[in-house]
Amino acid sequence: MKNIINKLKIIMVLGFMLTALTSCEDYLSPAPTSVLNGVTFFENDEDLEAALVNMYDGIQGVNSTSTNDNHALQYEFYLTEMRSDNTRTKSNEGEAAQFEFYTIEATNGIVTDYYISFYNVIFRANTVLANIDVASDENRAKIEGEAKFVRAYAYFNLVRLYGDIPLITSVIGAGDTGAQYTRVATSEVYDLIESDLLTAAGSLDNSSKSRGSKAAAQALLAKVYLTQGVNYLEAQILCEDVMGSGFTLEPNFKDVFFNELNDEIIFSIGYVGDSDDSQNFSAEWLNAVGRTSGVNYTTADVRLVLDELGGNRTPYSYRVDIEQPTQFQVVKYIPDGDESLGISATSTDPTKAGNDWIVLRYADVLLMHVEAIMAGGNDTSSSAALNSFELIRLRAGLTGDDDGTITKQELLDERRVELAFENHRFFDLVRFGEAQNVLSTFSTATGGSFTATDLLLPIPQREINLSNGVLGQNPGY
Amino acid sequence: MKNQIKNSFWAVIAIATISMFNSCEDLEQYEPLGENSIADATPPSANFTYSQGAGAGDIWKTYTFANGSTSATTYSWDFGDGNSSTEVDAINTYPGEGTWTVTLTASDALGVVSTFSETITVIEPEEPDVPDPVLVNADFNKLPKSSGSDCACAAWINKSIGDQGESSSGNGGSDNVIKFDNNEPDHAYQEFVVTPNADYTVTIVTSFKDPLGGSFPSMLELRILAGAGYDSGYTPTYYTDTVDFPQDDYGYSSIAQVEDPANNLLVEVQSNPVDDSYISYTYTFNSGANDSVALFIRGIGGPATGGGGGDFGYNSGDEEIRADYVTITAIND
Repeated sequence: MKNIINKLKIIMVLGFMLTALTSCEDYLSPAPTSVLNGVTFFENDEDLEAALVNMYDGIQGVNSTSTNDNHALQYEFYLTEMRSDNTRTKSNEGEAAQFEFYTIEATNGIVTDYYISFYNVIFRANTVLANIDVASDENRAKIEGEAKFVRAYAYFNLVRLYGDIPLITSVIGAGDTGAQYTRVATSEVYDLIESDLLTAAGSLDNSSKSRGSKAAAQALLAKVYLTQGVNYLEAQILCEDVMGSGFTLEPNFKDVFFNELNDEIIFSIGYVGDSDDSQNFSAEWLNAVGRTSGVNYTTADVRLVLDELGGNRTPYSYRVDIEQPTQFQVVKYIPDGDESLGISATSTDPTKAGNDWIVLRYADVLLMHVEAIMAGGNDTSSSAALNSFELIRLRAGLTGDDDGTITKQELLDERRVELAFENHRFFDLVRFGEAQNVLSTFSTATGGSFTATDLLLPIPQREINLSNGVLGQNPGY
Repeated sequence: MKNQIKNSFWAVIAIATISMFNSCEDLEQYEPLGENSIADATPPSANFTYSQGAGAGDIWKTYTFANGSTSATTYSWDFGDGNSSTEVDAINTYPGEGTWTVTLTASDALGVVSTFSETITVIEPEEPDVPDPVLVNADFNKLPKSSGSDCACAAWINKSIGDQGESSSGNGGSDNVIKFDNNEPDHAYQEFVVTPNADYTVTIVTSFKDPLGGSFPSMLELRILAGAGYDSGYTPTYYTDTVDFPQDDYGYSSIAQVEDPANNLLVEVQSNPVDDSYISYTYTFNSGANDSVALFIRGIGGPATGGGGGDFGYNSGDEEIRADYVTITAIND
C-alpha cells in the first residue's frame, strides 16, 4: 500500500500536468524537458505502472464532502441500493431521497458526480492505452489487459445506469465534442466491454485481488453475458473457470467483510483507514457519524426477506440503530466496530474508514453459475446448479434447495439476502426482468412514484448543457 | 380572527384568478387559429416496450408495458383485447393465446398527440424437451466411408487415437456389428450435439467371446468426452452421411487428451460377462457446460505396445468383442 501511495504522489504531479497541458499546449512549445508533463512523462513500464494504479485511485474516489470532488465508488450505493427495495435515507429528505422515491432530477448532483467520476476512470485507462508503446515486450500484454479490464468495468457500470452513452476509446481533449456528446447504442458499448474483457482474461493472472485479474475479468464477462441474456454456455464456462481458480467461501459470513482480501474476494477496491485513501460511505450509512443524518438505511421490505431467508447472514446484514431504535442500519462495512458482533473499527476516525469495497466475490460467481445454467428459463434441476446453490445455503447455516428445483424467484431471493447492500440488487432485478414489477409494487407501498423510465438514470443536465443540447435526455426526465 | 382574514384574502385571490381565467378563455375563442401562436417545440413522442410474465401458472398471459414516451403528460393504452388504461406504465392480462395490436396514445398539455402501436403475439411458452442426440450409423452397419471399403466403422473413425474397428455379423443380422479384437487399438469415435446441463442415457449392446484364460483378458471401455476438451480453435462439423465423415482431424487428437480426467463426463468399463450373448448395458451422463461431446469406445486389456495395429499405447485384449448398436437418448422428466 505504501508503494501505491508513493506512486500516487507521482500521479498527482502527472494529473496537474495533464490539466495544465490541455489549456496551455500552445504556450509550452517546445516541451520543457526539466519537468514532468503528460506528453513526455511516459517512458517505461514503471511510468505505466503508476498510470495503472492511478485508475484504481479514480475508482476509489475522493473522501470528501465537497461537491467539486469525484466520489466515484463512494457514491455508488445511492444509484443502486437506494434505488432498489433494499435501502433508503433515514430522513426521507433531500437530494439523496430522490432515489428512494424515484423522483430523480437531471440536476441531481450525485447522478452527475458518478457519471463524471467514471468517465474520468475511463480517461485514466485510455491514458495507459495511449502510451502502451513504451511498455516492454514482456509486460505489454498484461498492462494492456489491466487497463482494458478497468475500462470495461467502468463502462459496464455506466451503460447499466445511464443506457446509451458516449463511447470514448482514446484520450480526447476538451475540443473533441463529437465523441463526448454522441450517445451510442448500448449494444455498441457492450461490444467494447466484451472485447476489453476477453483481452483482459487472456493476458492477466490471478496475482492480485485489489487490481484487475484473470478471474475478475472472467467473472465480470460472465455477468456481462447474463445481463445481455446471451452466451449462457460461455457464461457457465467462465464461472466454472473461476470456480477452479482457488477461491473459496469464507466459512464465517462476517469474515467476508471484516477480514480483508480473504479467499472469497475476487476483486475489491482497497481503502486505508485514517489516510487520503480512506472512504466515508461507511460513516454516511450511520446516524450522524458522517455528514448526513444517515443514508442507506434498510427498508422493512429487505428485513422481512433477510429474517426469513438470511440464516446466519442476517445479524451481519442489518442491526438496530442504537440512537433511534425504530431504524435499522447496514452491518456490512460498518467503520467504527460493533462489540456485540465482534467487529473492530477500521479507523480511528470513522469518516476516514478503511473498509474495502467488494466488487466481485466468490458467492456472486456461484450464484451466477446457477443463473447461467438456468439460461433464461424459469427454473433448473441441474445437479451442477444445485451444488453451487447448496454451497451458498450451507455457509448461511441452511440446507440446499428443498425440492431439487431452483426457481428464478428462489435464485433472485438468494442473491438478495447473500449480496444485500453490496450494490447488486438493482442490477439483479433488471437482469431478471423483474425490476418494473417489483419496484412499482414497492414504490406504491412506500409513497414513491416509480415508472418504468426510472430504470435508467437521467443524463446529467450539466453534460447536456455543455453539449449545447446535442446530448439527448433519457425518456421520463 | 386572524384566520378569517387570511381565508377571505385567499378567497379574493381565488375569485380574481378564476375571473381572469374566464376572460382569457373567452378571448381565446375569438383568436384566429395559427395567428400569434407558437409551434409546440417539444411535441410528444409515444413509445413503449413490453415483456411477457415468466413463472408458474398463467403468468404468461400477463404482459407488462413500460412507457418510453417523451414530452408527454397523459397516456391512453388500448391493449387490443378490449381493455384499456390511462396509467403511465401498464399491465394487461390477455384471455389466452392470440395476436393483438397495442396502441399507446401520448398527449402533452397543448393537446398534441402521438401514437405508437405494436402487434404482440401471446403464446404459452413451452419448456421444450431436450432433444435426443443424433448419431450417424449408430447401428454399426457396413456402410460407405469417405475412402476405403465399406465398414461398420463408417462415421466412427478418428485415426489420431486408434485404428478402425472392423465389420462383422451377429445378433441375428449380417454386416451389422463392429469388432474390437486381435490385440489391435480398435476404436469408435463420433462427435455429436448435446444440450448443456442435460442428462442422457447411453445404451450399448455388446457380446464378449468366452474367456481364453490368457494374460490379456478383453474389456470394452466407453467414454463421453467433453467438447470443452477439444483442441483449441477446433469447431465440430456434424455430418449426416457416412461418406462425408473425415477419418482424422477431430477435436480429440491424442490419447493423453482422451485420458485427462477433466475431459471425461463418463468412463465405463465392461469386463467379460462370461456369456457370449448380446447384452445391453445402460449408463447415464450429464452434458455439463458443453454443447458438443464425443462418444469414444475402445477395446482394452491388451498389451500397451506391440499389438496388431498402430501404436497408441493401448490394444484390445485376447477375446473378440462385438458391438451391435449404441443409442443415446435425453432424459426428460
